[in-house]
Amino acid sequence: MTGVAEPRARPQPTTRGPRARPQPTTLTRFRGWFRNPWGKPRFLRVVTWAYIVWSIVPVLIAVQFSFNATRSRTVWDSFSTRWYWGDPVDSVWHDPTLRHALVQSFKLAGADVLIAVPLGVLLALGLARWRGRGSGTSNFIMLFPLVTPEIVMGVSLLLVFSHIFTFVHTGTLAQILGHVTFSISFVVVIVRGRLFSIGRQYEEAAADLGASPLVALRSVLLPLLTPAIVASAAVVFAISADDFVISQWLSSGGPTDTVPIQIYAATRAAPLPSVNAIATIMMVSTLLIVTAGFLTWRFFTRGERRAGKAAEDFGGAFDLT
Amino acid sequence: MARGEIELSKLTKQFAELTAVDSIDLHIPGGEFFSLLGPSGCGKTTTLRMIAGFEQPTSGEILLDGTDVAYTPPHQRNVNTVFQNYALFPHLNVNDNIAYGLKRAKRPKAEIRERVGKALELVQLQGYERRRSSQLSGGQQQRVALARALVLNPAVLLLDEPLGALDAKLRKALQIELKSLQQEVGITFLYVTHDQEEALTMSDRLAVMNAGHIEQIGAPQDVYEDPETLYVADFLGVSNLMQATIVRADTSACHVALDGYELETRGTDRDVTGEAKIVIRPERIELEEHGSPSGPNRIPAMVERVVYVGSAIQVIVRGATGEALQALVQNTGGGIPYEQGTPVQLHLPVDAVRVLPSGTGDAPSLEGEEPDPETVAAG
Repeated sequence: MTGVAEPRARPQPTTRGPRARPQPTTLTRFRGWFRNPWGKPRFLRVVTWAYIVWSIVPVLIAVQFSFNATRSRTVWDSFSTRWYWGDPVDSVWHDPTLRHALVQSFKLAGADVLIAVPLGVLLALGLARWRGRGSGTSNFIMLFPLVTPEIVMGVSLLLVFSHIFTFVHTGTLAQILGHVTFSISFVVVIVRGRLFSIGRQYEEAAADLGASPLVALRSVLLPLLTPAIVASAAVVFAISADDFVISQWLSSGGPTDTVPIQIYAATRAAPLPSVNAIATIMMVSTLLIVTAGFLTWRFFTRGERRAGKAAEDFGGAFDLT
Repeated sequence: MARGEIELSKLTKQFAELTAVDSIDLHIPGGEFFSLLGPSGCGKTTTLRMIAGFEQPTSGEILLDGTDVAYTPPHQRNVNTVFQNYALFPHLNVNDNIAYGLKRAKRPKAEIRERVGKALELVQLQGYERRRSSQLSGGQQQRVALARALVLNPAVLLLDEPLGALDAKLRKALQIELKSLQQEVGITFLYVTHDQEEALTMSDRLAVMNAGHIEQIGAPQDVYEDPETLYVADFLGVSNLMQATIVRADTSACHVALDGYELETRGTDRDVTGEAKIVIRPERIELEEHGSPSGPNRIPAMVERVVYVGSAIQVIVRGATGEALQALVQNTGGGIPYEQGTPVQLHLPVDAVRVLPSGTGDAPSLEGEEPDPETVAAG
């Protein structure tokens, strides 16, 4: 298409007239693909795909070796589900350490979602609807947990629990508190964005039609916030399941070690493909949760998108993580 | 008297540094179609929002059928609003949008169904119950918003530029529809707009607002034909303004001197002396052939520019007095009647010329009823 198109549409700057048109060599054709401003954005595609391949191939290799039939994580033998449940000692299903880690990770992520999302929604409502002195400052401070290095937060939480709130011992409770502390910010940022984009008009309309503020919240605002709530729940689940630093600092060892901690510990000893298996399980379940969140978001905003005014991009919400 | 009487008394709203509404007084009898007209930022929407209850007045009273509702939360007021962008709930379909208020009022299901059906009939949207707002055109959304507000039988319907988002043709059609709808339901409509044509077409009476206060209140023809201030004359359509000197003025007639020409104008009961502005609407200027017998209220002029606008032909002339004036000639199909550079004679009929007090607009009070000198008294 590029080399032989009619003169007006041809991209090559080297071909001014019919006579000056050289046979397109491999090089000029190649350059034409990238330089033609009217053509398909091939350069962008190449870069994007290069990145996707670069980032996904290691993961796929790790997933592949979780199905290896031998104890090797580097030499492929044959397909087997041995490391998931087949092996009577070392599989994820039969190794109590790995099984506990999986349970602990899901427990933390689940508790985090159940606590951080409602709290974050309430905070976002307050921050978005609070006009006047102090609102700007508090809005800004809400972002601190997003930029604080996790190690700093982990250490300081440990200090808080060991010196001030001494009734909180390291272990599941401390870990849940730690996860909630940093994930609330994500909920607030996502929900507040949605609140700003839907504006005050629907609340005013509800009040105008006789709804008290509480009724307006339940019958209008919460349904409209559903996509943001679902998105933030998916984000919170993903970052909580993924968290290593805070889980590690607030862990009391043994069954309170999460999957990332176990993977870290295992790779320092003699790793088996069961580590790949547990990592694969975590990845797939997180992926499923986020996909479910995305589909729910699509479902609830279908009307807005049809009208060409999607209030907020679900992907945009994830840029923050 | 019909339900829906509104009385605003010294109503003021101050935002941080801005006085959006500055001590306005307004009385709207029940069942009237009343418009608040003014440019953006004149305080008309803030006034409406205070009546709806979305803003709390800084001071003053809002009497609705005799009860002060200034500090009643919006969900307890017997007024409903049609919002500029309709604010239809996107997660509900047409039926549930209209039923929303009735459900909040905990009406029985059968009654809700019946009243929603009637409201849909009123705005001619039967058969659209299951649609979502995103599946409706702008005009249909507007009707749903109307039905949603009217189904609650409010004493007053507040409309905040409800036609602003629609195209010109649909707007014209809906203007007529809105007016007949108001006559049908018989409640007070308080209509906020910046579109002077809209306000003139639909209102029983209207108030022209400027910078937080009311410049003039009256029936459309009074406000248009007899603007009390320079601001009103300028805002309502095109006005030809000329500087003149008052020779003598009383209630039967005024005589003004205009650069050597003396004009007789309509009488005024305002106290005008010295320098003053006179105003005439373009459609009231009559163009006569050059050389027609000169007489009172006639000024020679030169055609400067002729603009074809479709239904009329706009002729810009420069009078012998130096002012450029705009005249509007009905398009009767005879082509463009005047050419550039043609000398003509202007006839400014006595009853078409009005004297305005000099410097009105940011002017002192005309009737002295208000203590605040910034406020032009309401009629």
